[in-house]
Amino acid sequence: MAARLRGRPAHAPGPTYLSYTPNGKKLITVGVNGALRVFQHGSDNEPAIIDVLTDGHTAVASTNDFIVVGAEDGSVTKYSLLTNSMEEILVRCSLPVRDVSLSKDGEWVAVASDELEVKVVNTRDMTRIMHLRDQSRPVKHVSFDVSGSTLAVSCTDGIVYMYSLSSEQPQLIKRVDGLIKTLETDVEASAKVAWHPDGRAFAAPTATRARSDWQRQKAFSGGHRADISAAAWSPNGALLATAGVDKSLCIWETRSQRLLKSYDDVQNAILAIDWHPTDNVCSYTNNNGELFIREDFVPGEHAKHLRIALQPAPMNNDPLSEISGNARKQVGNGDKPNGVRRSAEDQYLDDLLGPDAMSEDEMDFIEDDDGAGYAEETNHVGKRTAVANGGRPAKRHAPFATWNPQVHEAFQPGSTPWRGDRRYLCLNMTGFVWTVNQDTHHTVTVEFHDRQEHRDFHFTDPYKYDKASLNEKGTLFSCRPSSQTQQRAVLYYRPHETWTTRTDWRTQLPAGEEVTSMSLSESCIVATTSKGYVRIYSLFGLPLKVYRQKSMPAVTCASWRDYVITVGNGSVGGDGTTRMLYTIDNIRRDELCQSEDVVALGEDTELRSVFFSDKGDPCIYDTEGVLLILLHWRTPGQAKWVPLLDTKTMDRLASGRKDETYWPVAVANNKFHCIILKGSDVYPHFPRPLLVDFDFKIPVSSFPAGAADDEDRDAAQQKNLEEQYVRASLQHSLASDLVDNTNATSAQKAEVPVMEREVDKALLQLLAAECREGEERGMKALEIAALMRDRTGKMLEAAGKIAARFQRDILGEKITQLAERRLVGLVDEEDM
Amino acid sequence: MHSDTRWPSLSPPGLTPSEVGFLCEMEHVTVIPRQTLDGLELLGGPTGALKPPFPTPLPLWLALLLKKQRRANITPPPWLSVEALTQILDFETDERTAELFSPSPDLPPSTTSAPLEGDPYLAHDSLELSAPFLKDTATARAQADALPYHWLEIGHLLITHAPDDFEDLDAVRKLLRDLREVRMSKLRKGFEVLDAGGGVKMNGVGGMEIAEVRGFVGGVVDGLRWVTD
Repeated sequence: MAARLRGRPAHAPGPTYLSYTPNGKKLITVGVNGALRVFQHGSDNEPAIIDVLTDGHTAVASTNDFIVVGAEDGSVTKYSLLTNSMEEILVRCSLPVRDVSLSKDGEWVAVASDELEVKVVNTRDMTRIMHLRDQSRPVKHVSFDVSGSTLAVSCTDGIVYMYSLSSEQPQLIKRVDGLIKTLETDVEASAKVAWHPDGRAFAAPTATRARSDWQRQKAFSGGHRADISAAAWSPNGALLATAGVDKSLCIWETRSQRLLKSYDDVQNAILAIDWHPTDNVCSYTNNNGELFIREDFVPGEHAKHLRIALQPAPMNNDPLSEISGNARKQVGNGDKPNGVRRSAEDQYLDDLLGPDAMSEDEMDFIEDDDGAGYAEETNHVGKRTAVANGGRPAKRHAPFATWNPQVHEAFQPGSTPWRGDRRYLCLNMTGFVWTVNQDTHHTVTVEFHDRQEHRDFHFTDPYKYDKASLNEKGTLFSCRPSSQTQQRAVLYYRPHETWTTRTDWRTQLPAGEEVTSMSLSESCIVATTSKGYVRIYSLFGLPLKVYRQKSMPAVTCASWRDYVITVGNGSVGGDGTTRMLYTIDNIRRDELCQSEDVVALGEDTELRSVFFSDKGDPCIYDTEGVLLILLHWRTPGQAKWVPLLDTKTMDRLASGRKDETYWPVAVANNKFHCIILKGSDVYPHFPRPLLVDFDFKIPVSSFPAGAADDEDRDAAQQKNLEEQYVRASLQHSLASDLVDNTNATSAQKAEVPVMEREVDKALLQLLAAECREGEERGMKALEIAALMRDRTGKMLEAAGKIAARFQRDILGEKITQLAERRLVGLVDEEDM
Repeated sequence: MHSDTRWPSLSPPGLTPSEVGFLCEMEHVTVIPRQTLDGLELLGGPTGALKPPFPTPLPLWLALLLKKQRRANITPPPWLSVEALTQILDFETDERTAELFSPSPDLPPSTTSAPLEGDPYLAHDSLELSAPFLKDTATARAQADALPYHWLEIGHLLITHAPDDFEDLDAVRKLLRDLREVRMSKLRKGFEVLDAGGGVKMNGVGGMEIAEVRGFVGGVVDGLRWVTD
């Protein structure tokens, strides 16, 4: 590779796309300006230029003789490569064209535009045109498979539509739902389906990166941290090149789905990648009008991969989804989230019917040239392909043998991945820490919400800190070890206030150890490391404790005063993923509050964040949008997770018009503080969005708030009171737990009776509602009265008054009896 | 007394626009403090302690003062967002609802249905609040799809004094101006039918809008009455 990679300015700055001709002689780029460029392969001469009438080109596809170019004005034009001139306008759309794809024989071109339908036009006779109309939203990408008989249409509704074009009338053969992300047509991130050259598999960037394997592979090798913007298989299918919007570029080995190389010298987001059909050259264009032709793209030791013959797609049940990075492995016959896979029913049928029973001619194009017998594997539509050579049926069950568990990723609460050249290292109620990638170094900025108390600061960071933790007292940073500079992982603590000249300190971790997550509290610093250790330091850098975490690898940690919660991967559950276990430790008293207890998460739900509330109770937020708080956690074995708020049931979403999720920041002042994420965003970005707070609402029942008539409103009011009662009881037990177990302040002690009164108030209102309903509801009313916590009798007296007011005399009598028995101590809580 | 008989003829009846503008500064808005401040005991009631970054409701005048001193940011109320204003403007200009002004915020549930005497926890005053006295019409908790009584004044003040707290200032400014013009023309259309006994339905009209047309309408009606007499 050349010493310094230099881009060739091909077009005016802006989105640029490219395509190699199938014979590899020419490379065509299109961009925002009104010219196409035709580069000769292997020549450094100036490219030929085709001046065109359109500008803002959005897609290009080529054969050896001609190219097809789509533009934002909606035209799709065919240009001859023999004369370098325009031949004809194939089709005109009313809205911008987003993608074009040519079938391998160059006969048909599929056109995706912002219109709802996809047009498939014959390149020789533009009057022959097919319309694909099954999508409900505009289409972002189209992609022909190798045979040209199947077209994958990536729609902005997040579904991949598979059309069979083998007949005169195009047929929708499969909707692959939940594979790709819902993306707008004009974003850089891609949802394009990349067909494997052997035609049986395809790769697609996926929606839920949290569950995807890009993420997982990153754990080993640092793959993509943001959405994928382009992907291309090598001509023989042995390698896959992918680029992310975070300016990463990776090469993966198909067979093992291993990351071979990750390039970090990419300066702009790559929009299109294409491999040269024969040489070890890969070219890509970015959103800045530049073309990069990378010779010796695959590093020498792996170049052999390029010389081998056509490789089978990694179809051993799941490697396919592993490459497409979308599914976690399944052991049972459960509901498979990956639409690419066959349903359990299919598998059952196949087992019954034998290998040939379900075959379809449609997929006969596979050349089973190496006799590897891979053809009996399922293809992308979940159907069995024809078996030419008898195959090896036993291979079908291979997944059960090669199964390995899915481990939860480590993450740092409050941080976001790179987007563009910046990311948040920490975002909380004290302030926020963000860093900017300047290639050779980073610049870190710390800003505070309270500008009077602390002064914002900014520094140049040669260590490239990748984690930070911020609180009122100081800021903690950590960086990764680097093999090139022999730099070890470093923890760096910088207090905000000092009365000596310099109290910030750095400490190095032992060689080969990496910080996976860390946390800063008012009294200590906690770091979990890749070796499975939990390292605890004082605020002045004195190591206090080192111990090995029981459940490894560590996922995350959080701390509050002397309490430290560490979360790790425990044993493997029935769904093939590990159960997350947490441990809460009081490091000063050296007591375990909870040991290896389960982080209660539902099926297919991931942990989004762990933090302590302002009162010091551990909280978690999951990917389903539920906020849970840990109750009774100071007593070993008593802890339970109680939902505080299900953001999906909030009133603001009831209209269905809003498409938003929430990024948790804190639980403080009895409110949930978060950042609203619009659309499909998973993390907040720059500029810094506003913090929003929501009241807790325990999901007791779902009742629409905007009820129309009075009866509905009454019922809603009733449900509201019930929720209020449950919430007040929860807050009461949290407050009394705190007072019972710690040296509580007088304010905290005063809160318990206040909460008790809140509970009783809700009960009184419920009682009034029951009394209003009628005499026959008396039993329930008495039950409510018996739940009163107040021991002075005042509340029961009030209850009696309510009963009297509604003239429920029997109820009133019973309440008076209850009050009298309580007063003399006859009825205790246990008796009720 | 002597002065009593003369005063009414000197000052116009009702509130002048500047008085309305002054009164609207008593409305609460939500601020995001940038520094700590203890609660204040004000004539209009105590204010909450300011602790960054917790949003706190404050009277508009105090919020503007803090904003000027760069001690706080003001969160514009939900109805002052581009989406909400667009929606309201659509309602105002829609053919089917062209006759109406967009409705004012929902009233709080009625409180006088079941008073319970002598009960400390269920007791409540029987005061039913309505338009100028509604709570939370300009805080972050305000209803998004309705213009409150003081919408024009608050919108104007926030745009002028806290422009950097808006996401899309120009769009908001433009929408506010459009809304004002649309509603003003509706009011004017109503005056075409004014005569001594005529009436115009003014549900949902804001305080400043009333103050602006009061002089004209009063004059016309009085003049007509004088003519017909």
